[in-house]
Amino acid sequence: MALKLTNLYKSFGSIRVLEDINIISNKKECIAIIGPNGAGKSTLFKVISGIVKQDIGNVEFNNKNINELNVEKRARLGISQSFQKNSLFLEMTVKESLMLACSHKYKTSFNLIKPLIKNNFISDDAIMIAKDIGLENYLDVQSEFLSYGLQRQLELGIAIACNPKLLLLDEPTAGMSPAETKDIITLIRKLSKDYSIIIVEHDMEVIYNLADKIYVLDRGKLIFEGSPNAVKNSKLVQKVYLGI
Amino acid sequence: MRAVNYNPKLRFQIMIILILLSIIFNIFGGYFTRFFVAEIIILSIFAISLDFIASRGGMVSLGHAMFLGIGAYATAILSINYGIPPFYATFFSILIGLFIALLIGYFIVLLDGIFFIMVTLALGEMFHAWVFTSELLGGSDGITGIMRPDLSFLKIDLNTPIIFSFYTIFWLIIVYNLISRITDAPLGRNLDAIRQNSERVSAIGGYKKTYKAIAFSISAGIASLAGSLYVQLNGFISPELTHWTVSGEGLIMIIVGGIGSISGAILGASVVHIIQHELSNIINWWMLVIGFGFILVVLFMKDGLWGLIESIKKKLGY
Repeated sequence: MALKLTNLYKSFGSIRVLEDINIISNKKECIAIIGPNGAGKSTLFKVISGIVKQDIGNVEFNNKNINELNVEKRARLGISQSFQKNSLFLEMTVKESLMLACSHKYKTSFNLIKPLIKNNFISDDAIMIAKDIGLENYLDVQSEFLSYGLQRQLELGIAIACNPKLLLLDEPTAGMSPAETKDIITLIRKLSKDYSIIIVEHDMEVIYNLADKIYVLDRGKLIFEGSPNAVKNSKLVQKVYLGI
Repeated sequence: MRAVNYNPKLRFQIMIILILLSIIFNIFGGYFTRFFVAEIIILSIFAISLDFIASRGGMVSLGHAMFLGIGAYATAILSINYGIPPFYATFFSILIGLFIALLIGYFIVLLDGIFFIMVTLALGEMFHAWVFTSELLGGSDGITGIMRPDLSFLKIDLNTPIIFSFYTIFWLIIVYNLISRITDAPLGRNLDAIRQNSERVSAIGGYKKTYKAIAFSISAGIASLAGSLYVQLNGFISPELTHWTVSGEGLIMIIVGGIGSISGAILGASVVHIIQHELSNIINWWMLVIGFGFILVVLFMKDGLWGLIESIKKKLGY
């Protein structure tokens, strides 16, 4: 079991955004969280990654309670995330950005002497990741000057470069063209063989293509969980989320 | 914070030119020129220390003159009161600066923008007030009679102006190499990443607080070195050196030179100090001119002199 959320509650003032959330993510499983806007998906991601702390409940990762760990410590345990809005190092090139993330994987981030760019094994690793995410031809391009779609790919690449055990992907295909979306789906499917993945996505085709299990959130509560087929056939989900 | 200047090749080229110029002025100049060159070099070391934390860690310090003072007073006290040879006193001064900054840095490095500026300003002013009234540190009169290092075993007489000036250049080259290496190394790149996107550095498991505390300490150690060299150049130290305006002048130097470029800090320190000196010989209202010039640089040359050189190089096709 990679991640276990038990009886999670979270309120902002008088507004309850998460209520009695129970989710289990097994190793190398891709689970999806869907729901209408304001359902609490992003808050749930923030609770898992440690950006926001839950009011009540437990977050366990690889059978270890991580309630008290902050974002940095959770990331070091292997929880890595790609953000809904691109969160890049805009003044760095693609290669530098990936190498920087890799420097944490290889525990060389405290090195004071050897230039990062001259570290061969980190460089090789960054190039491999760039190939995986389809950015091998953009290694020396500054992140700021990449197209939106390519920036989304880099966003994912930085998350992978940290050698995660659990990948949190917040709307990885948002704003992408159909062709770019197809590439990202292929990439995430490839990644799901090596990592546990939790994905938040509005595009149901993406979800049906990737998820082993789907959780449906509505106004902070889990209203349904099941396989993609079960979700497709659920009248409750169709009514609440798909509006059918 | 806006983009910083990161171009290792240009950084090295400018550094070489500046070092060559200082060597030429040192060899062909008279007594005063050599003293003046040493003064500029020491200011450059101080400016590099400020530039490093301002550009890489996003920490703009208005209290950094405190570390200049710590280096200067520690060298004075250790060599006069405890009889430690000035050369070793310089090393101890650097360590004292490093250690104090590590203690302070642990509590303040995660403060953002204006809060960091104000806390460093407050700390600097507290130190200044203490120095001003401390009997041990000579109060408002300061301390006199500080000796230069004795390197006679190497047949080097640092009391000769040209030799002492070369001695400061030697230290500048060490500091430049150290900061250049750290800037290009993973720690420096992580510091730069924190300035660009602090949230993402956390999300990839970076040790934000530790990186910044290390940078702050290294910077303080370098400022302390500048302080130590300053007292050895002048033979005395007074509380004015620890006033916040000294930190402010340091910041003006790095903005004029071009933030984050390292060589720009040396360039800025040289230009600002030369203009200050020349203008103050001609007019009483020289500070007004300096202030006006600074405003022009901020408005029209955001990358400072470094940016100007970079754009000229591009136009010439290099």
